Amino acid sequence: MISRPLKEGFRGVARHWGMSISAAIAVTITLVMISIFMIFSFNLENFTKDIESSLEISVLVDYDYDSQEQIDRIATELNDIDGVSEVTFSDKEQEFDFYLNSFEDETTRSAFEPFRDDNPMHNAFYLEAKSGSVIESVAEQAKTIEGVDTVSYGGQSTIDLVGAMSSVRKVGFVIVVAMTFLAVMLIQNAIKLTISSRKDEITIMRNVGATNRFIRSPFLIEGIITGILGSIIPIGLSIVGYTYLYRVTGGHMLSNMFNLLAPNPFIYRLAIALVVIGVVVGYIGSWISVTRYLRWKR
Amino acid sequence: MIECNHVYKQYKNGTNALYDLNISVEQGEFVYIIGPTGSGKSTLIKLLDGEETPTKGDVNVVGINVGKLRPRQVPLYRRNIGVVFQDFRLLRAKTVFENVAYALEVINMKKKPIQKRVGEVLELVGLQSKSASFPNQLSGGQQQRVAIARAIANRPKVLIADEPTGNLDPEKSDEIMDLLEKINARYGTTILMVTHDLTLVNKHRKRTIVLENGHIVADLAEGGYVRHDQ
Ligand SMILES: Nc1ncnc2c1ncn2[C@@H]1O[C@H](COP(=O)(O)OP(=O)(O)O)[C@@H](O)[C@H]1O
Ligand SMILES: [Mg+2]
Repeated sequence: MISRPLKEGFRGVARHWGMSISAAIAVTITLVMISIFMIFSFNLENFTKDIESSLEISVLVDYDYDSQEQIDRIATELNDIDGVSEVTFSDKEQEFDFYLNSFEDETTRSAFEPFRDDNPMHNAFYLEAKSGSVIESVAEQAKTIEGVDTVSYGGQSTIDLVGAMSSVRKVGFVIVVAMTFLAVMLIQNAIKLTISSRKDEITIMRNVGATNRFIRSPFLIEGIITGILGSIIPIGLSIVGYTYLYRVTGGHMLSNMFNLLAPNPFIYRLAIALVVIGVVVGYIGSWISVTRYLRWKR
Repeated sequence: MIECNHVYKQYKNGTNALYDLNISVEQGEFVYIIGPTGSGKSTLIKLLDGEETPTKGDVNVVGINVGKLRPRQVPLYRRNIGVVFQDFRLLRAKTVFENVAYALEVINMKKKPIQKRVGEVLELVGLQSKSASFPNQLSGGQQQRVAIARAIANRPKVLIADEPTGNLDPEKSDEIMDLLEKINARYGTTILMVTHDLTLVNKHRKRTIVLENGHIVADLAEGGYVRHDQ
């Protein structure tokens, strides 16, 4: 039966309002911090993905390796390099068109048109790397393939940035996890206080034959309710704050280099994550404190 | 119903509370435990309801070796006995009805039979009209009657009481005694009652076990106790 613990849990919160609020505040504080770090981390992840997908390695094929067999062989060898996620081929005709189309005005384009028959362009491959950190080694390996003329990729500084961001992201993740533990400890401590203030009540329950589980379940519901209460303010702040940030920045930071995640659906997913963390933290926190209190009780 | 065989109790701090206790109470008996403060009466009650374990010896109640129960099993054991305390131990936040019902909820009784049974026992203790009141709206005597109703709601074979009249004036004490005698007579409930109210013991005569400094110094089957140490 779920209705008894639910009813008793709500009553417990209502009756021990002050205690519930102080436990909820502990959750609120940590959830606000968790929210900030999550907004930060997810956006950073997004930035990193944007940049990584813009990082392309171009491999130009030597004029002497023009035959279809040679092209196929080079394609296979490029595909075999560790860390390559995609290989696209662009023949010299396409390259020529591409070059031509890079000019805005018709006259320049027609001026180049005669060169089409004596095409100076190379056959080319474009490689996508699985992550920013492998670009250098992919490029190195591509260079060693027979028939490859030149290999180039976007600047070293971009790659360094990608590396730096991935370590910042890891730190952010660690902080979120640490915050969650902190929240569990804070709420557990707050609930421990409510329990010791109610130990007479618990003793009486045991006197009349209530099992630990029977005594515990309303407290778990109280913990969950406390967690939900504690997540209201962080959710409100996150939605309002992030939407505002997005609006004033126009969705970009540092002169359009970084795109912020659009508030919808990101902020709503974040809200759900915060409630879930609140509920889990409340549940675990009260479980720990009730169990610790009841374990050795006879 | 209740068997204590060579029971010793020493608390963790080294206090010896009981020495070589041997008690045998048959089903349906009504027994007093009397003795001065600190003689070990409450310790005996705690051994019987499973709150403390004997240092040596066995405590058997309704065929269960209480001292050997693991903490988790103690609540299940308690469903076989009713316990009444001097300080009533009612849940403050619950009404009279809810307090009695709680003892039946813990054994997963359904709502309908709970209502019926609570009505019955509240009638028995004469408090049906107070079922919606909260404990702090009742007199001490009434609170104790609620506690007794709760203790017997589950029809236990054994009822143990630690100074149930300790906080009550003589008139109210008499009422509680009448109630306990009624329960003993009507349901054949075995009752073991700790008291140091000698007036009560001499008025409502029953088998009386006398404790002093943790020893049984007398076990008077015919009851009635006269202080002999002065
Ligand atoms: N939890 C405890 N820890 C240590 N000593 C205790 C504890 N409870 C009772 N005692 C001691 O055990 C002795 C018997 O106490 P108790 O059983 O409460 O006596 P009574 O109920 O007859 O007054 C006393 O000396 C008392 O101080
Ligand atoms: Mg006592």
